[in-house]
Amino acid sequence: MDFEYSEEQRMLADSLRRLVADNWSMAKRRARQGGLDPAAWNALAELGVLGLTIDAAHGGFGEAPDSLLPVHLELGRGLVDEPVIASGVMSATAIGASGNAAGEAILSLAYQEPGRRYAVEPEDCRLQGLVLDGSKHLVWHGAAAHAWIVSARDAASGEMALLAVPADAPGASVAGTNTLDRSRCARIDFKQVRLAPEHVLARGEAARAALALALEWGTAALCAHAAGAMARLLDITVDYLKTRKQFGQPLAAFQALQHRMAEMVVAKEMALSMAYVAVAALGENDARARRRMIAAAKLETARAGRFVSQCAVQLHGGMGMTDELEVGDFFKRLTVVELLFGDGTEQLAVLEETA
Amino acid sequence: MQLTWTPEESRFRDEVRAFVAANLPADIRDKVMRHQRLHRDDYIRWHRVLDEHGWGAPTWPREFGGTGWNPIQRLVFEVECFAAGAPRLLPFGLSMIGPVLMKYGSKKQQQELLPRMIRVDDWWCQGYSEPGSGSDLASLKTRAEKASGPGGGHYVVNGQKTWTTLAQYADHMFCLARTDPSVKPQAGISMLLIDMRQPGVTVRPIRTLDGGRDVNEVWLENVKVPVEDIVGEEGKGWTYAKYLLGHERIGIAGLGHCHRELRILKDLAARTRGSNGRPLLDDARMRDRISRIEVDIMALEMLLYRVAAARGDAPPGPEASVLKIRGSEIQQDLAMLQMEVAGPDAWPYDPDWMEADALFQGPGGEMTAPAGAGYADMRKTSIYGGTTEVQKGIIARMILGL
Repeated sequence: MDFEYSEEQRMLADSLRRLVADNWSMAKRRARQGGLDPAAWNALAELGVLGLTIDAAHGGFGEAPDSLLPVHLELGRGLVDEPVIASGVMSATAIGASGNAAGEAILSLAYQEPGRRYAVEPEDCRLQGLVLDGSKHLVWHGAAAHAWIVSARDAASGEMALLAVPADAPGASVAGTNTLDRSRCARIDFKQVRLAPEHVLARGEAARAALALALEWGTAALCAHAAGAMARLLDITVDYLKTRKQFGQPLAAFQALQHRMAEMVVAKEMALSMAYVAVAALGENDARARRRMIAAAKLETARAGRFVSQCAVQLHGGMGMTDELEVGDFFKRLTVVELLFGDGTEQLAVLEETA
Repeated sequence: MQLTWTPEESRFRDEVRAFVAANLPADIRDKVMRHQRLHRDDYIRWHRVLDEHGWGAPTWPREFGGTGWNPIQRLVFEVECFAAGAPRLLPFGLSMIGPVLMKYGSKKQQQELLPRMIRVDDWWCQGYSEPGSGSDLASLKTRAEKASGPGGGHYVVNGQKTWTTLAQYADHMFCLARTDPSVKPQAGISMLLIDMRQPGVTVRPIRTLDGGRDVNEVWLENVKVPVEDIVGEEGKGWTYAKYLLGHERIGIAGLGHCHRELRILKDLAARTRGSNGRPLLDDARMRDRISRIEVDIMALEMLLYRVAAARGDAPPGPEASVLKIRGSEIQQDLAMLQMEVAGPDAWPYDPDWMEADALFQGPGGEMTAPAGAGYADMRKTSIYGGTTEVQKGIIARMILGL
């Protein structure tokens, strides 16, 4: 085993860390409030972040999956919310796995349906010939996307179809909302949306496999993002406790608080280790083993993220409860990690199934 | 020993339950059960409904206009009210400064101020924490200097208070200020009653994690306080403050809150379908977690009854810290479970959805939208009223004698 970054990965991570520090400060991040800043988006594109793991034949850089780790750790440190995961990782994976080419556009994966929690088998969205009806929701940056990768049930065959639906298709309407973690998501309603044959990316088993793979890649990237966020939150918390004085000394001098920070270090290291597991899983050809590794990584990462973020708020005291410090932004993002791509209960079910 | 309800206690519980069911305004109940934002008038209306029935001050003795209930009755009342969806009673008068004035206040203060607290004719707020003085409250810097004048003169108060809950509505503040900087920190503090409706008082909301604005910073600039508006003696403020905090900690255990939130949790779990289409309440993993928290609440309840029965009307001791630690954790766990039941539907959130007349309530309906924000907000319970770390210190010193 070798955990060293390659020379290219190290350079990319260093450049990203500088870019993120400059462009994703709390003030700049909040000013965008989940909206997309073309300059910030282009800066990420210029570093090669967007097409990182996309096959070179499809216009990407064709990097191995392990490159997700240095990239998303850095993006997580800055709570970079631009749709890198939704577009560059998940949608691109879905398209690539279906044998199609990924373009430059912002894409988002629309697979969840109202009232159906994390179910991936479409029921509400139905494809009648080439006409799409139904609703999707919780589509990450759905209102900013140029096109959505939509799962639907073919009315004739009952099989899943994976579709690329342009956002300007007549009959498609999108309603974006804010999210708890200062991001954006959308509900999309399709009414008699007429598609062209080239909009059908895959059908049947191929569609199901492409969607599953997209979720696995997204989950792996999210695990790395969360591990990066935890590392940075720990830094922020330690700095705060070194400066904040009570009872005549810095809070950092109190053993009870030192121990709590030490426990945060332990949790963060466990999460980082599972981010490695998640990225390793992407190189695993056995689908069952891959699924199990991803579920394990997601479970542990969400749990560690919750612990680290709760501790960070507690250690900040009343200031941790305000919206005035960065700690709250990290707390909310790490809280949301549990809610995205299957919660702990879902992951435990996968672990039971693949045991 | 009598470990079950006596016939009188059961009758009392039934009486309270029937009264609340008949008299709690439905619009207020709906807001509470849906975790929507309550406003000034919601609280006041409920206080006055209770007052008209003679129950306006459930924790006070009869001589001050209270019900004269024993500690068990008070707890039964709290649990019944909360479980039925009543708003919490504002603690600032009834549980905080009220009991302090009964014990340490002047006759004039008792006669003038206590009756007005029961009907919330005056809205009180607490002026304790400062930006530099949180857990280390005794280091507070707000200064009160005596100046001569008619009627014995007044204090001139300067300083900044923070985390002042609902100060935006307050008519009065009970405030800790330093009257003597030359002695050791605890000995130089006095408790003053400040009229908030005067020049020099500035209230600014602090936006919290859930997007709410119910806590505030309060600036006091050359604020005048007549000398008769001091509580008890000059320099004894720390003693009064500690007396008050002990009272607060009992309430902070949140038994009634726990019962209500458990009810909401189960209701939500019964109505929410899992990815397999079946109610989450039927999922063994979820059911086990709900069962665990039911057991936690059962233990907390018995602990609270034990403490209440043992102390009678005496001020609560360090055992209040035990209650505060566990009670705040259970409240946090309940909020976390509610968020987990809401699951992905807790992700979209806008603070505006917390208003009762909000147009869009989020994907899962009115109960799921606030679930993530509620989880974030409940992190405060292990911070306010003395952090868990401070409570552990009290237990180590005062229960273990370390």
